[in-house]
Amino acid sequence: MYRYCFLTILSLSVMISSARAQEDLNDLLEKMTKDSARKTGASVVQIETRGGADMVVAGPKGQVFRKALGPTTGVIVSADGYVITSAFNFLNNPPTILVRVAGQQGEPLVATRVATDKSRMLTLIKVDAKGLPVAPVVPKKELAEGQWAIALGRALDFKMDKAPAISVGVISALGRIWGKAIQTDAKISPINYGGPIIDIQGRIQGILIPASPKGDDDTAGLEWYDSGIGFAIPMEDIMAILPRLKEGKDLQRGLLGVNMKSQDIYSVAPEIGAILKASAAEKAGLKVGDLLIEIEGKPVVNMAQVQHILGVKYEGDKISVKYKRGAEVKEIKSLELSAKTIIVAQPFLGILPMRDDPKLGVEIRHVFDKSPAEKAGLKAGDRIMKFGSDDKLTEFTGAKRGRSQFLDWLNTLYPGAEIKLAVKRKGADKLETLTLTLADLPGSMPGAPATVLDKLPLEASFKKALAQLEINDPNIKNPKIVEQAPPEPETGLIEKTTADGQHKYWLWVYPEYDPNIAHSMIVWLHPPDKNSKEELDGWADLWDEYCRKNHIILVMPVEKQGNWLPRDADGVVAAARETVKTYSIDNQRVVAHGMGVGGQMALHLAFNHRDLFKGACAVGATTTGQIKDNVATQRLSFYLAAGSLDPLAKYVSESRVLLADRRYAAFYREMPERGKDYLTAKDIAEAVRWLDTLDQQ
Amino acid sequence: MIRNVLPSWKYRLAGCLLLLAGVSTVNAQGSMTAAAAKVNDKMVKLFGIGGLKGLASYGSGILVSENGHILTVNNHILVNTTGLKVHLYDGRQYQAKVLFREPELDIALLKIDEEVNALPHFEFDKEAARPMAENGDWILAFSNQFQIALRDEPMSVQRGVIMAVADLRGRRGVFDAPYNGDVYFLDVIACNPGAAGGVVTNRKGELLGILGRELKSTSTDTWVNYAVPIQAAVDVQRDDKTAKVSMAMFVKDAMKGTYKQSTKIVRKDLGGYHGIVLVVNAVSSTPPYVEEVATGSPAEKTGLRPDDLILYVEGYSVPTIKIFRETLKQYGPGEEIRVQLQRGSKLESVKLKLGNQPKVPVPN
Repeated sequence: MYRYCFLTILSLSVMISSARAQEDLNDLLEKMTKDSARKTGASVVQIETRGGADMVVAGPKGQVFRKALGPTTGVIVSADGYVITSAFNFLNNPPTILVRVAGQQGEPLVATRVATDKSRMLTLIKVDAKGLPVAPVVPKKELAEGQWAIALGRALDFKMDKAPAISVGVISALGRIWGKAIQTDAKISPINYGGPIIDIQGRIQGILIPASPKGDDDTAGLEWYDSGIGFAIPMEDIMAILPRLKEGKDLQRGLLGVNMKSQDIYSVAPEIGAILKASAAEKAGLKVGDLLIEIEGKPVVNMAQVQHILGVKYEGDKISVKYKRGAEVKEIKSLELSAKTIIVAQPFLGILPMRDDPKLGVEIRHVFDKSPAEKAGLKAGDRIMKFGSDDKLTEFTGAKRGRSQFLDWLNTLYPGAEIKLAVKRKGADKLETLTLTLADLPGSMPGAPATVLDKLPLEASFKKALAQLEINDPNIKNPKIVEQAPPEPETGLIEKTTADGQHKYWLWVYPEYDPNIAHSMIVWLHPPDKNSKEELDGWADLWDEYCRKNHIILVMPVEKQGNWLPRDADGVVAAARETVKTYSIDNQRVVAHGMGVGGQMALHLAFNHRDLFKGACAVGATTTGQIKDNVATQRLSFYLAAGSLDPLAKYVSESRVLLADRRYAAFYREMPERGKDYLTAKDIAEAVRWLDTLDQQ
Repeated sequence: MIRNVLPSWKYRLAGCLLLLAGVSTVNAQGSMTAAAAKVNDKMVKLFGIGGLKGLASYGSGILVSENGHILTVNNHILVNTTGLKVHLYDGRQYQAKVLFREPELDIALLKIDEEVNALPHFEFDKEAARPMAENGDWILAFSNQFQIALRDEPMSVQRGVIMAVADLRGRRGVFDAPYNGDVYFLDVIACNPGAAGGVVTNRKGELLGILGRELKSTSTDTWVNYAVPIQAAVDVQRDDKTAKVSMAMFVKDAMKGTYKQSTKIVRKDLGGYHGIVLVVNAVSSTPPYVEEVATGSPAEKTGLRPDDLILYVEGYSVPTIKIFRETLKQYGPGEEIRVQLQRGSKLESVKLKLGNQPKVPVPN
């Protein structure tokens, strides 16, 4: 009763003496904002990092951007030193994390990473401290559009006795990003991710994140990045998962593991079009053609509604599903969601083929030790004439080079598959049929690092790259010659500009270039500013010996802004494609190569232009955040190197494991007693052998 | 309803107030409208013939005397001052000339090149005598950003809060600004083309700061929205002596015609020797890891070791080798500096007494 009187009196007073009262209201509102910010500011910490990768990749299109050096913000979630912040702050894998806590005289504390929620892109870190202040949380049911949302940050100032940085806005929407986030119009930028938004009473509504850096998670919504629209994960949800994060286990988004029949997620009923192998859906017995009608008791009429319900779920969460199979309605009471499980693995027979061979079939150049090919008794000089998965074997057609046709077929299979080959032994005429079981591509298993051949087999090419292919198919009239070159292309150090006149690049084509041999191609992403003719020529000199011996052409795009950025990819790719058109290039041995920032760029190019690049050779660079899923038809291999004294070496080595986790063939070379240096002569020789065996099958 | 949502009496009061503030916004804006009108009359639109290609040839300024003295930012539109035009709030148009510039404060004083009087203006002395504003204070920002206003059209007004009062200098190597003391960071996108020389006031229309020129943080690649407080004061160089000059002093002396032009302070390398050899600076974010310490050097004496990671120098963060080197340039032989570092998983703090550079150059 009392409070209603109070309200009435206040209302009246406002109406009667409005000008004065408005000022009072404004004063009070302003004061409350500041008081709340100061009070809650005690739980808001400053986070700094040292080291880690220079550039990180995020966003649906894999934009590369420089990781801010400046401090960021975090929020204390328990008195014994746990701090929650945006995972974005650690995208570049910094080895050192420093935290300044209010009331600790601003002296930094060393923090360790505890766990990351990969669905909501939050990271829990821990400092050694006691009795830290924890701010109250706004219950989710009290959140509403239009409420004040005050964003706090500690990035601008290291004086921890002061109020945090304040930006005032409102809650713009709830349930964004498939139900996971609050949207706010308070001013959010990369330097205050990890901070809280609080209500007018100083209670925490949520933790600010960039919409969602693309990690394992393909959540929609990242297109809002840097658009002035901010997102925060509700604090109540964070407190709920805190015990799981404290155990040190990363949390993954829970997935059903199905593809819908239609790509339209709004106007088509959610009918299952494909069940992914080993997925939650497969285990629960869902089948292609099943129509989802209810999830968690909520009716669903399209895929968008399904995603709204599943978006907030974690791996291991159980849901109930009702679906229609034919006319029958069925129900699964408890379906346990799984993390992303579908990994494409590439199969390996264990041979190197002879190149520039116009004849039908694949002549074996080399058989790898302990490979399926060796176990089956295949030898160098044998020729594969037919192949297949059952007794009906396929013949080579001559529509494309034998080696390419064979690899295309191999790429449709999985490791462990049994195959049959009809082989003509060296010097014999009769066909012999062998049965083999395919293995994993060497280096594509995290626990089994790759090796590079110590010595390359002498002969590699029949030197008939320009010759007409032998045909076995009466339907093929004019077979294309895959590698074609003009009779006398230019050689030496050549200055070029791409056809659009926009991008300068240099080529090194050794003088004895022979167009009848298909060449490897290295696209060199020079270190920032090392782009003069002399510097590029100097680098090419390091490789020249191998260019001649192993038939390599060097492409050296010039970058003038002092840094490689994704927008430079177009120019690099244009330069590489022009070179492929002009010279005899083996499309299975085109790689991007660089060091430091150039190495990051090489990795970026490999992941984003797989039709051109078949590998990347990166020195002192990590794959942070940019590893994309393996694609069966587009193999990628990696040669990573780092000096043992380079603080990044550990992370480069980890990158090898991360790549192998996705079943990419990846090799790591640590150069003893070297820091942030380029490859030694010995390492270059090894990288050449890696490059030369990229056409392994 | 209120009972369910608001847990305590104190909050209940807040709730009532907010509710009222929400429903009577038209009235609430009354005082701000009055303030806006008052401030607008004291502002001018500047039109130059431009200085640099690709930059706006217009700007904003404020009247600081009834006779047409104008304070603005010393930016590119003042590079070539022939044809510099001023539009007053009532649409009058005049030529103006530059009387004085103070590069260290990044400001300039102009004068309308005609006899004018009784113009509405800010009493700069009085305004600058007020204490500074603080984080969270409501503000209004006024400028002719994007050249939207001509002649008697009012300036663009924006509302926001002061995000933080913080030191640009504390973020060395991050900003490339002429003035690098304390500024008001704003939570409103106020620093657009043509906004420099505009003002930030509190909601009563009292002057707080001058909007700075467009500035990008090189480490985050984000544009900064800020204003230089009218209480700003800097050290300047005059006849080989260092003197303190505040914005108010500049305005006062420049109006009297007695302002003594300063020469720009060249910040040179003071050259204190530490003897720390850092790891190779391979990428732009390489942190300052100690590779080795020179024998007999101050670094060795204080116990620095290979693999130590230097974190802070005199409390300032040194995340990269570049910033470490820039920071160290400011300390000379004989000065003792506090260096905080990480050794293994522990933080250590050491005092480093800088020496003279050795005769034989040591790689640094």
